[in-house]
Amino acid sequence: MKCLDFTSRIDEYLDDQLRPENAEAFRNHLARCPTCAEEADAVEGLRRRAARLPQSLDPPQDLWPEIATRIAAERVVRGRFGRRALMAAAAVALIAGSVVTAYLVGRSQVGTTVENRQIIENDPSEIVLASFQELGVADYLVTRSGLFGALEVRSGDLSPETLEVLMTNLKVIDDAMEKIAEALEEEPDNEFLMKQLAAAYRRQINLLETAVQLPAEV
Amino acid sequence: METIATFPTDVAPPVAVMTEANSSDRGKSGLVERAAAGDVEAFEELYRANVGRVYALCLRMAGDPTLAEELAQEAFVRAWQKLGSFRGASAFSTWLHRVTVNVVLGHRRSTIRREARVRPLGDDLPRDVAGREAGTAESIDLERAISSLPDGARKVFVLHDVEGFRHQEVSHVMGIAVGTSKAQLHRARKLLRKALTS
Repeated sequence: MKCLDFTSRIDEYLDDQLRPENAEAFRNHLARCPTCAEEADAVEGLRRRAARLPQSLDPPQDLWPEIATRIAAERVVRGRFGRRALMAAAAVALIAGSVVTAYLVGRSQVGTTVENRQIIENDPSEIVLASFQELGVADYLVTRSGLFGALEVRSGDLSPETLEVLMTNLKVIDDAMEKIAEALEEEPDNEFLMKQLAAAYRRQINLLETAVQLPAEV
Repeated sequence: METIATFPTDVAPPVAVMTEANSSDRGKSGLVERAAAGDVEAFEELYRANVGRVYALCLRMAGDPTLAEELAQEAFVRAWQKLGSFRGASAFSTWLHRVTVNVVLGHRRSTIRREARVRPLGDDLPRDVAGREAGTAESIDLERAISSLPDGARKVFVLHDVEGFRHQEVSHVMGIAVGTSKAQLHRARKLLRKALTS
């Protein structure tokens, strides 16, 4: 056996992937060739170091809060309810005036996944950021959350019909965002799609701002 | 579109995974049943018991701490979604390990444009690595070198040399030929030795 044959199959030898007769030839070569023996020791040393790496590493921060949030959304969005139960929950939420809950429940019926929204919302493009700037929105998630909070407070002033229309429109926008996000997964650098996404965000914020300012109906 | 095989539940797990599973799953069966029934507190206990191993796998395979956190979160969310399909044929941690491998390999990097956010491993080393008394320098050097490997070579190396998969298993979960797995491992070891001796 030549040294080149040995080094080209050294991984197979050390990983016990060689046939017995070939392994025997390797062992014979190793006994006679200090250079190849050194090479084998080096690879074996690396394997041992890798095997000694800690199996468990603490993440820099606790990941549970984010997981818990997503699980909570999951439970509402598509979790452990049947479709009828979801629709009933939406109706109950409407009657109770919980716009946010109704919205989350309603999202399940357009097949919304939380994941795509988070990707887009956590990593917005320059186009989306510029769009927010035009709206005077420094932080989209904070603004949206604030508007939902304000809407929650005002929901008692609005009629069930108005709330239903509002939710329907929010779901339409949400659905559009999902479709755009899916398309962006395939073409992340598509400027047209990113502009469409920015427009959808603007429509959502505008709709919420308008709803919060509606005159009392009940 | 890229298709990646998922790790089936009827494949015998790698030896290293089985060993870990045996030690960490004692007394967990009640938790798994409660979590499968929708008990979030029980699932949080399972998270606490397994997050270190899940994060370590994600970190080494992704080579990026920020992405590793996201993938670990995704693995637990995916596990929550799929708990109903967990039959208990294997230990929960073994099943979770498979879910994590599938999440990491199924992650399409192109969907997240994070180039600006990627930073080399070492600036943000996990506490267990940075804080270990024995062999700290050796571990950190190797972790850093692993993170600098090309994507395919890194994943094969982590699965084979750290996690104990065989080439056939690597081939199956990564959707590559056995020969490609061997070639990537050879490449990874060569690059690592070069990095560690330079």
